[in-house]
Amino acid sequence: MDQFFQQLINGLTLGSLYALIAVGYTVVYGIVQLINFAHGEVFMIGAFGALSTYLLLFDDQTQVWILPIMLIGAIAASVITAVLMERVAYRPLRNAPRLAPLITAIGISVFLQEAVRLFYDKIPGFPSAKQRIPFPQIDVVTGPAIQIGDVTIQRAGIFTMAALAVCSALLWYFVNRTRLGRGMQAVSQDPDTASLMGINVDRIIVVAFAMGAVLAAIAGVSQGLQNSNIDFRMGFLAGLKAFTAAVLGGIGNIQGAVVGGLVLGVVEAMAIEYIPGQFGGSSWKDVWAFVILILVLVFRPQGLLGARVVDRA
Amino acid sequence: MNERITERLKLPDSVVQKYGRFGWPLGLAGVALVIVGAFLSWSYDPDVLGDLSLNLYPGGLQILAIIIALVSLALLLIVRGPLKPRFGPWVDAALGLRAAGTWLLIYMALIVAGISAEAGGLINVNPGGWVALLGALLLFAGSRLIAPSAELRDLSEAKVPSSLEILVIAVMMAAILFGAAYALGREDAWSFVLFLVFAGGLIAIGVRTGFVTWFGHSSIRNRKVLTLAAFVVAFFFPFTQGGSDANMSIATQVLIFAATAMGLNIVVGLAGLLDLGYVAFLGAGAYVAAMLSNSAFATIDWKPPFVVVMLCGAGVAATLGLIIGSPTLRVSGDYLAIVTLGFGEIFRLSMFNLDGTNGPLLTNGPNGIPAIPDLEIGSFNFGDTHEVLGIELARFSNYYFLLLALLAFVILVFTRLNNSRIGRGWVAIREDEKAAEAMGVNTFGLKLLAFAVGAFLAGLAGTIKAHQDVAVSPDQYIFLESAFLLAAIVLGGMGTVAGVLLGATILKLLPEKLRFFSEYRLLFFGLLLVLMMRFRPEGLVASRRRQLEFHEEDEELAVAVESELAEEVGK
Amino acid sequence: MTVTDVVRDRTPESGGAPVLEATGVTMRFGGLVAVNNVSLQVVEGEILGLIGPNGAGKTTFFNCLTGMYKPTGGEVRFMGTPLPPKPRAVVRAGMARTFQNIRLFGNMTALENVMVGRYCRTSSAAVTSVLRGPKFRREEAATRQRAQELLDFVGLGRTAEHLARNLSYGDQRRLEIARALATDPQLLLLDEPTAGMNPQETDQAKDLVFKIRDSGIAVVVIEHDMRFIFNLCDRVLCLVRGETLVEGTPGEVQSDPRVIEAYIGTGGDDDNGPADGAAEEDRS
Repeated sequence: MDQFFQQLINGLTLGSLYALIAVGYTVVYGIVQLINFAHGEVFMIGAFGALSTYLLLFDDQTQVWILPIMLIGAIAASVITAVLMERVAYRPLRNAPRLAPLITAIGISVFLQEAVRLFYDKIPGFPSAKQRIPFPQIDVVTGPAIQIGDVTIQRAGIFTMAALAVCSALLWYFVNRTRLGRGMQAVSQDPDTASLMGINVDRIIVVAFAMGAVLAAIAGVSQGLQNSNIDFRMGFLAGLKAFTAAVLGGIGNIQGAVVGGLVLGVVEAMAIEYIPGQFGGSSWKDVWAFVILILVLVFRPQGLLGARVVDRA
Repeated sequence: MNERITERLKLPDSVVQKYGRFGWPLGLAGVALVIVGAFLSWSYDPDVLGDLSLNLYPGGLQILAIIIALVSLALLLIVRGPLKPRFGPWVDAALGLRAAGTWLLIYMALIVAGISAEAGGLINVNPGGWVALLGALLLFAGSRLIAPSAELRDLSEAKVPSSLEILVIAVMMAAILFGAAYALGREDAWSFVLFLVFAGGLIAIGVRTGFVTWFGHSSIRNRKVLTLAAFVVAFFFPFTQGGSDANMSIATQVLIFAATAMGLNIVVGLAGLLDLGYVAFLGAGAYVAAMLSNSAFATIDWKPPFVVVMLCGAGVAATLGLIIGSPTLRVSGDYLAIVTLGFGEIFRLSMFNLDGTNGPLLTNGPNGIPAIPDLEIGSFNFGDTHEVLGIELARFSNYYFLLLALLAFVILVFTRLNNSRIGRGWVAIREDEKAAEAMGVNTFGLKLLAFAVGAFLAGLAGTIKAHQDVAVSPDQYIFLESAFLLAAIVLGGMGTVAGVLLGATILKLLPEKLRFFSEYRLLFFGLLLVLMMRFRPEGLVASRRRQLEFHEEDEELAVAVESELAEEVGK
Repeated sequence: MTVTDVVRDRTPESGGAPVLEATGVTMRFGGLVAVNNVSLQVVEGEILGLIGPNGAGKTTFFNCLTGMYKPTGGEVRFMGTPLPPKPRAVVRAGMARTFQNIRLFGNMTALENVMVGRYCRTSSAAVTSVLRGPKFRREEAATRQRAQELLDFVGLGRTAEHLARNLSYGDQRRLEIARALATDPQLLLLDEPTAGMNPQETDQAKDLVFKIRDSGIAVVVIEHDMRFIFNLCDRVLCLVRGETLVEGTPGEVQSDPRVIEAYIGTGGDDDNGPADGAAEEDRS
C-alpha cells in the first residue's frame, strides 16, 4: 500500500508539472484553434530565464526570498518569447491553411532550442547550454525530502503541487470573474461576433499566449528545482506530454487541462509500478503516455471533460 | 529575393529618361572590362579560391564571371543590335540585364572579400580583380539606365521547332550535370558559395528574361524527353567523379533522402495529411534489413535473399503505416499530426528498449545493429570496385545506381497515382472532405492508402539505407529527421516532383559542403521553415494547385493557372 | 390530427414504383428536435418539392436522407432496402445531392469535379493505376468522356477546363448538378438549386431539372422560390418546425391556409420555432 501512495505522490508531482504546461496549449487552442507546438520551448525558456536571473543577481546564494524573483525572471522570459512568437510568426498566418501554422510552430521550436544551445554562453558569465546546466538549489523548496510513514515527498514536488493549486485558483478567477477573461470566453465561442461586439480579438489572443507562458514559466522553475538541472531539450518531451494531458482533459477546456495533467502523471507513475514483466518499468513509461494520447484521440477526441470543438479539418 | 533587390534599386523614371542613352554604352563597357579583367590575375596568392593568380589563363571562378558577362553581352545585343529583330519581342532583355548586373556585382564583391579573407587583406587582390569589379559596377549602373523593354509577347505563343526545344533541354541537362559535378568538386566553402551565387545569377537572369517561363512551357510539351534527359544525366553523374567516393557518398545520401521525401510527399503533398513520424517507416525498413542481415549482431537467424528482405521491410513498414493511418477515420488535421508524432516517438522508444533487458531482444537497444555487410545481389557485391568504360566505380557508386532506380520507382508511383482516379480523390479530400465523401469518394480508404503507400516506399528505402550506412541505431530515427523530410517538401513545393527533389538536394547538400555552417544548421533550418510559411508557403517550385490553396483570395493567380491548365490539356 | 395521418392520406396516386421511402425520420440535437417524425415517398420519374420557412428543418432532413447525419429515429429505404447512414453508401446505392452552400472542389477544373463524381462507379485501384494497363486506360478514357457528356448535358461543355472557383454562381450550381449526376443516381436531391440566380438562370435551371427527370431520374428539390416550385413539381411537401404540415399537388399546397399561415406567421410565437437556425444551417 505504501508503494501505491508513493507512486500516487510521484504521479501527482509529475502531473502538476504537465498540468501547468498543458494550460498553455489549451488556452491558445481554445481561442485560435492552433496547436502551439512551440509551447514546450516557452517552458524551457522559462527555466533558463529563472537561471539567468539567479546567475546575474544572486550567484551562490540560497535564501528562499530569491525564489519569487527567479519566478519573475522566468515569467518575463517566457511571456516575451510567447508574445513575440505570436506577433511575428503566427499572426500573419491566421487565415492561412492549417498546415502553415503547424509547420511554422515546428520551425520556431527548433529555432528556439538551437538559439539557446548556441548562444546562451555568449552572455558573459553564463555557462554553455550544450550540456545540462545545474539549477540553483534554494532553501525550503529543495533539500532533504519529507518522510510521512514510508512515503517520501520531495520538497520541490510540494512546491509544484502548491503552484498548480494557486495558479488554478487565480486562473479560474481570471477567466470567470474579470472583463478580460469573459472577453476571452467570447472570442473562443465566436471570434467574428466577438470582434463585432467591440472585443479586441488580437489583444485577447496575445493575452492567451501570455497566460500560457506564465504558467509554463512556473513549470520551468519547478522542473529545474525537481531535477536540479535543465537543458535546451527539456521542452520537447515535456511539451508533448503536456499536449497529451491537454487532449486527455479535452483540449480547449482549462479545467480539463489540469485534470488531464494530473491523470496522465498518475497513470505514468502507476504504469512504472504495476505493469508487470518487461514492458513495465520506467523505460516504457513514455511509450504508455503516447499510447494513451493516441487512444484518447481516436476513441474520445473530446477528452475526459469534453471540449468545444473536436472535428478540425 | 532578386525581384525585391531589383525593385529597390530601381532608379527614378526622370533619371532614366534623362541619362537613358548612356545605359547601353555603359553596360557594354562594363561587360568588356569584366572579360578583360577575367583574363588578368585576380589574386596575388595562388592558393586561395582555386588558382586565380595567372595572367591570360583564367581559373574556374574567372570563367564563371566570363560566362555571366557573355550572357549580358547577348542581352545587350538584344536591346540594341543584331539580335534585336529575332529576340526583341520575346526576351525581356532589360530586366535580364538588371539581374545580371546585380548578381555579377554581388559575385565580384564576394570574390574580393573572399581573396582578402583567405589570403589576409585586400592587398592580395591583384588589378584584374579590381578591373572586373569595376566592370560589374558599370554593368550594374548601365543596366539600370536602360529603359524596360516595350510590349512583350506572350511566351506561351513562342513557337520554335521541337527539335530545337529538345536540344535546349539537352543543353540544360548537360549544364546541370556539369554544374553539379563542378559544385561537388569545390573543396573550400568560398568557392562553393561563389558557385552558388553564379548559379543563382543565371537562374535570376533566366527568370527575369522570361527564359524560365518559356522553358516551363517547352518542358510541358516535351515532358517525356525532359524526364528521360534528367535520368540520363543522373545516370552519368558517377562517371564524372573519376572514382572519388567522397562525393558519391554525399550523392547517395541525397538520393535516400530524396526518395524518402518523395514517399512522404504522397502523404503530405497529395493526400494532404501531415505525418510527423514518417522517419519511423524508414527506420522500420532499415531495422528489418539489419535484423535479417549477415551482421554478427543481427537478431534473427533467417537470411533470405535481399529481394525478400526488401519486401519484408516494406511490408512491415506498410503495416505500420496502416496502423498509424487508422486514426484518420476519427481524427483529422492537427490532431492527426500529433498522433503521427506520438507513433514516431513510440517507434524510437521501442527500438531503444527492445534490447533483451527491457523487452525481447530485437534491436540491441541504444547500441543498434552495427557491422552490416555490403549488399550482395547475385554475385554482384556492392562493396567492390567495378570498372566500367575505364572509369572506376567504387562502393558508393554502386549504391548510387540502386538508389537511383529506387528513386525512379518512387517518382513513377507518385506521378501515376497523382494522375489517376486516386489522385483526383486525394485532391477532392484536400479541397472538401465532407463533400468528397458525399460524392462517393472513399475518403478513409484513400487516406489509409496514402499512409500505406508512403510507408511502403520509405520501408524500401530503409532496407537499402541499412546496408549503405553499415549500422542502424535509434538515434538515426528521431523526430528531427521527420521534420527535415517535411522541410524538404515545404521548401521545394508540396505535391511536386521537381520541387521535392530540389528541396531534398538543398537540405542535404548544403550542410555537407558548408562545414563551417554545420553548427548553425538547425538554427537556420528552423528559421527557414518559419520564413517559407510566411513568404512562400507553396515552396520554391510551386504545384499550381497547391499555390491556389495557399492563396485562396488571389483571383489573378486563379486565372493564370487556368490558362496553364488549358495549355497542358491542349498539347 | 397527427402529422403522420396527413401523410398516409396522401400517398401518391401515380403508379410508379417507389424509389425512396422515409418513414418517421426524426433528428434530435440534444433537446432540440430539428426533424420530427417526417415521412416521405418518392416514386420513379417524379419531381417532389420540399418547402417550408427558414429553420423548418429541410436541409437537416436532406442530411438525414443522405447519411450526413444519423437520424435518431425512423427508417430510410431506397429501392426497397434500408440505407446505411453513410454518405458514401448512399451515393453508391444511387442517391446523389447538391449543397445549399455550393461545395465544389474550387481548385479543380469543372471536368475534374465531374470526374470525381465518377469515383464510385469506377474501380482502378492503386496497383492498376501505377501499372497503367489497358483496363486502366479504358476506364480513364471512359470517365473523361462521361464527364464531358455530363458537362454538355448541363450546358457547361465549353467550360470544362475552367477552375470551378472561377465559374459564375449559376454555372457553379449547374456544375454541382453535373457532379452529382456523374454518380449515376436514380434519385437526385437538390438543395436550393436557384438560390442567388437571376430569373433567366432560374428558367434554365427549371428546364435542366425537367431534362434530368425525363432521363429517368427522380428529383427532390428544396426551394424558397414558390413560383419555381409550383411550376416544376408533381407533388409538394411543406415542412414547418421540423414536422410535415401539408403534402399534396402544387395546387393543393398553394391554396392550403395552413401553408400561407406558416409563411406569413400569425404572431410572435412563430419567431422562435423549435428548429430555428440550428436545423437550417448545413452543419459542417
